[in-house]
Amino acid sequence: MPAVAKATAGPTLRQNLTGWAFAAPFMILFGVFLAFPIIAAFLLSFTSFGLRDLQNPVGTSFVGLQNYIDLFSDAKFWKSLTNTLYFVVVGVPVTLAFGLLIANALNRGVTRFRTAFRVGYYLPVITSIVAIAVVWRFLLNPDVGLINMALAAAGIDGPAWLADPALAMPSIIAMAVWRNLGFAMIVFLAGMQAIPASLYEAASLDGAGRWQAFRSITVPLLRPTILFMTVITTIGYLQLFEEPFVMTAGGPLDATLSVTMYMYQQGFTFFHQGYASAIAYVLFLIVAIIAFLQFRFLRSDA
Amino acid sequence: MQTDVSISSPGRRATPRRLGLGAILAGLAIVAAACGTNDGSTAPGGGASQAPGGGASQAPDASPAGPVEGKLTVWAMGNEGVKLKVLADAFMAENPGTTVNVTPVDWGQAVAKLQTAIAGGQTPDVSQMGTDMMGQFAETSALETVPASFDSKAFFESAWKTNIVGDTVFGVPWYVETRMLYYRTDIAEKAGITAAPATMDELMTMAKAMQSKGGAKWGISLGTKNWQEYLPFLWSNGGAVMDDAGTFQLNSPQAVEALTMYSSYFNEGLSPTTVPEGFDITPAFVSGTHPMFFSGPWHLGLIKEAGGAELEGKWAIAPMPKAASSTSFLGGSNLVVYKASKNKDLAWKFVQYLTDPATQVAWYAEVTDLPAVASAWDDAALKADPNVAMFGEQLKSTQAQPAISTWSELGEALNATLEKLTTGGMTPQDAADAMQADAERIGTGS
Repeated sequence: MPAVAKATAGPTLRQNLTGWAFAAPFMILFGVFLAFPIIAAFLLSFTSFGLRDLQNPVGTSFVGLQNYIDLFSDAKFWKSLTNTLYFVVVGVPVTLAFGLLIANALNRGVTRFRTAFRVGYYLPVITSIVAIAVVWRFLLNPDVGLINMALAAAGIDGPAWLADPALAMPSIIAMAVWRNLGFAMIVFLAGMQAIPASLYEAASLDGAGRWQAFRSITVPLLRPTILFMTVITTIGYLQLFEEPFVMTAGGPLDATLSVTMYMYQQGFTFFHQGYASAIAYVLFLIVAIIAFLQFRFLRSDA
Repeated sequence: MQTDVSISSPGRRATPRRLGLGAILAGLAIVAAACGTNDGSTAPGGGASQAPGGGASQAPDASPAGPVEGKLTVWAMGNEGVKLKVLADAFMAENPGTTVNVTPVDWGQAVAKLQTAIAGGQTPDVSQMGTDMMGQFAETSALETVPASFDSKAFFESAWKTNIVGDTVFGVPWYVETRMLYYRTDIAEKAGITAAPATMDELMTMAKAMQSKGGAKWGISLGTKNWQEYLPFLWSNGGAVMDDAGTFQLNSPQAVEALTMYSSYFNEGLSPTTVPEGFDITPAFVSGTHPMFFSGPWHLGLIKEAGGAELEGKWAIAPMPKAASSTSFLGGSNLVVYKASKNKDLAWKFVQYLTDPATQVAWYAEVTDLPAVASAWDDAALKADPNVAMFGEQLKSTQAQPAISTWSELGEALNATLEKLTTGGMTPQDAADAMQADAERIGTGS
């Protein structure tokens, strides 16, 4: 039949063009703002691109792997990497644990003002991170901050949160958890609502308590959601930048200097763009490896 | 007051960012008066023979004596960017056929915007440039060499020197600032001291007395990680960042001694070791908890504003206390012309106009920027306020950071070491050696 023959002959030129036209806006934006910089940064990381190359970028000198070799002996880079991993290793589990507990409470326990709670926990997520960081900087101020004033009212002499090398990173983690648990909560809540209520009914008939139901039904069935959130949150936290940039400027004694901050400093303050690109690629590699490992281990028996 | 993009040094930018509002009408009147007399002969060194400072090279004098026409784009930062239009208008009125467009640029974005402009080949004709930015922008080869018609001797020597990178002059000083000691006279008197501290030893005695007898919480407020506050101690103690041959001298015996002096204020609990990010000294000085600090001329207005009538007569300023000398830090801004400019003659003429002594006085009235041209200080307007006049005296004994392309990185490294010294328990000798090692590793970029 002619109609069938026509359909199997594949799309016409016109159909092809229409398809490309629909894809073009994305392809162009992706190419100009993502693909090109990614490739350019990769090439830059093998050069000593700096101020003197600004007017003649192609005249920069190739240094091979020298930037990467230098990174390995750069104590400040290692310090920034350690700080970032500290932030991730403590921050991610705490954020997810709080997100999960609050989602569970809102899903199964709290019935009154449920919407108000959801909005309240989610509000920090949609607020500008810089505004939040500035407000927290005020809250944590040792002399006039609300937190230390509250502690003083209770007779406790509060510490200099952001000025103490041992407390600066925990303070930033506390703020990051508060800001980000809302997103985890919303995603977990969506996952929980897909779990059939009959499972909980059956469990309670068998005499399971709330905690048992949470452990044996909610968590296992949420496994794909937890995996997703772990990967997303880890990738986000590895790129820690705004919080220390606004609140501590990387101090005190580099205690909150993150990898992305160090990259920014090298690239835009000192204008060692080649070196900064190498830092970017090392960070990219670390993110890729961690994401791969998380998929591998968290998914295995699902 | 942190406005730049650097990461861990509040107030790295060597320029005042907060200035009182100028008396606009007075400024206009003086500008108008200047217009009447400025026929080119009052420009610094106009027509005088070439006198390059310290053998640094300037371009042959190519600026025409006759009228110039055309368009200029000028970038200026911060408060200068907002107010420069006043002078641009006066210049245009004086030079028919010229158009000067002023583009204000935020200090926080200045470095990045200029770098982008250079990379894209879209530079302005003229721009303001912080004295600490000269080294890195000279490195881009985008700056034009200053013609010989500008006489180095017309300017404060240390201000002129910030423009010499390698042995070429890349800019002309526009305005300057330096740091002096602000102290509370009432607290000093309570502690039994009636004179300003003239020497480093007296400064230490005064800080101790203000804390123990004057009732102040601290003796003095010094930066825990700010090379701009440390270097005056180094210079005043006879030390230097680098010698004339370009070799770093950061661990000389004078440097170790200066670091010992500097750190003793922290070790003896006279200066706070934990300073919250964004800490503002002005209210702390007004309330009397921090009775001494070093700062630039902008604090004259800030303290008057915050202290009001109640604080009047209860504070004063004093020169940098002396050890081998009384040498303070010089900051401010220069004016540069870009190689890509299509109208360089007009660009230099505008720069010459801005550095004319009469224009410098008018500019002081407008934005209270201190003149970089020494002879402008003879004007009555700058002698009227004794505090401002004291800044003029201190300016004669100042130094600036070396004009090397790696300064932003070296300054950051110095700050990191200073922080270890003041709050991390590092010894002065170790700090000096660490500074020297960092400097040798980072190098001068040439």
